Amino acid sequence: MSANPEALERTVIGEHAQAALRSLMQVWFDFERELAQVPILRKLLDGRFAKEDYRTLLLNLRQQVIEGSRWISRSASSFDRDFSDVRSEVIGHARDEHRDYEMLEKDFVAAGGDLDAIRGRERNLGSEALHGYLMYRASRPNPVELLGAMWIIEGLGEKMANDWAGRIDEQTGLDGATRFLKYHGENDDDHLSKLYQLLDRVCVDEATVAQIVKCAQVVARLYRLQLEEVTRG
Amino acid sequence: MNAYITATGAHLPGPPINNDEIENVLGLVDGKPSRLKKRILKANGIKTRHYALNGGHETTDSVPGMGAKAARQALSASHVDTHDIRMLSCATTQGDFVAPGFASLMQAELGIPRVEIHTTHGICSSSLMAVKAAANTIRLGEQPNALVVASELASRLFKHTRYEAAGGGKVIDFNAEFLRWMLSDGAGALLVESTPSTRSARIDWIRSFSHADAYPLCMSIGGTRDNDDARTWQDFPTYAEAEAAGALLIRQDVKLLDDVVKMGIDGALRLIDEGAFNPATLDHMLCHYSSHHFRSKIFEMLDVAGASIAEHKWYTNLYERGNTGCASIFIMLDEFLRTHDLEPGETILCMVPESGRFNTAYMHLTMVENP
Repeated sequence: MSANPEALERTVIGEHAQAALRSLMQVWFDFERELAQVPILRKLLDGRFAKEDYRTLLLNLRQQVIEGSRWISRSASSFDRDFSDVRSEVIGHARDEHRDYEMLEKDFVAAGGDLDAIRGRERNLGSEALHGYLMYRASRPNPVELLGAMWIIEGLGEKMANDWAGRIDEQTGLDGATRFLKYHGENDDDHLSKLYQLLDRVCVDEATVAQIVKCAQVVARLYRLQLEEVTRG
Repeated sequence: MNAYITATGAHLPGPPINNDEIENVLGLVDGKPSRLKKRILKANGIKTRHYALNGGHETTDSVPGMGAKAARQALSASHVDTHDIRMLSCATTQGDFVAPGFASLMQAELGIPRVEIHTTHGICSSSLMAVKAAANTIRLGEQPNALVVASELASRLFKHTRYEAAGGGKVIDFNAEFLRWMLSDGAGALLVESTPSTRSARIDWIRSFSHADAYPLCMSIGGTRDNDDARTWQDFPTYAEAEAAGALLIRQDVKLLDDVVKMGIDGALRLIDEGAFNPATLDHMLCHYSSHHFRSKIFEMLDVAGASIAEHKWYTNLYERGNTGCASIFIMLDEFLRTHDLEPGETILCMVPESGRFNTAYMHLTMVENP
């Protein structure tokens, strides 16, 4: 589906990895379609998003961001010697992101929030389910299916930076309070090429592809639940 | 039973208008040149277009008038006479009359007796819906032929006076001005028959996927600029008040355009999964969209995923003929078939992403030769 003259340097990946990528793209499109219907994000699409909505969103995101670095670290230790190359990548990823929540807290304060309130916040029901699922999967031997989770989380990072952040700035009139969201748009190309390499590395058969795709679907569903819970009660 | 496109026609009113001449035709809002024009034109890449308006902002043709010229061109390349047409299936975004349907007016213009008529209502993808109704009627054996006409006269919405009546330059934002530099006028027609002529395009399938349940309005006419005002144009005491509130301006929520492209790719991936087409063996791709959207990361990703259609297979005449809404895909197909000597067996995928509220339509054709 491309007429892109810039894509001359072709990334070559195997047949199973290609099939995985096609399915993952569809999981992502489904996910974005569903996100457009989540109340807090619909406000953003409709141009009715207020400062208070942003604070509520951050309040609910923080716990997931902290837990996020935990499941990635946990999964690193679950890869055995046969997957030591994958383990190295995962460790690098965990190191990159494990203090992200500090930036999120600063944004919350810049948006008029109280630091103690966000630090003391409980995980919402969706965050609870998502965290439970990811920690369970990350604790199993060689959890290659978590590439599906990375796909969704990376995609969200890109969406937060290139879609949410601009809309939030515009609709709330806040200045310098979306650094966490924007930060996730950096090094996108780098992350993508690493993801292609990892897919190519682990997608050795259809069964692995199916596991990765299912994991992406579960994470997408639970992440949506987390965002739906933002405005529930 | 099969349905074949046996002849095509197109009509573009008046001379080609280049980018520097647009405001001579559409006029200057508040007497001042647009500050956004250059940026928007650079993004959509359109170099010339046609308007059924003269320099005095007077309409020089009508929606059925242009449609009839395209239809006659198609019929002149066929063995079918106007009075032999059995079904007339028509599409336009905004006809001359609010009612009745466009097909009634098209029938009157062409003078076809006792014809079965069908009008589709929508924006860019409505022309493929009109082809689908025609093709299915023929496949069912209910009619032996159908004339499909798509015609657009959008320029009337872009006259400077429209913007001035809605508050002028002070209140006209990017979203309200975007389509002024994008859309223009024209018509296209396809003759669909149950038997192929010398060289015809068999309609293999037409499919569409709509996402209005999930996404908000992206391109529309009828609502106000105020997101909290749920009124549409007919809810105002007078049309003058509706116009003053901006409810008769055509708007595009440009931030949502990437999502429209994504949903278009989503549909294509579904069709690939179903085996409806194979991107590797497809011969030609005709897509109703500005090329700058194809420079996004998603297209690189499709390349990596082995789902891309090679660059040399893409054809468009959007940059010379303009974006004529639902007529575009017919005008594109007409010029493509006239300028390419296609062999039997060659395949064409037409793709029309409609930003309105996220509908993308696809039509797959295979060239056949009548033995």
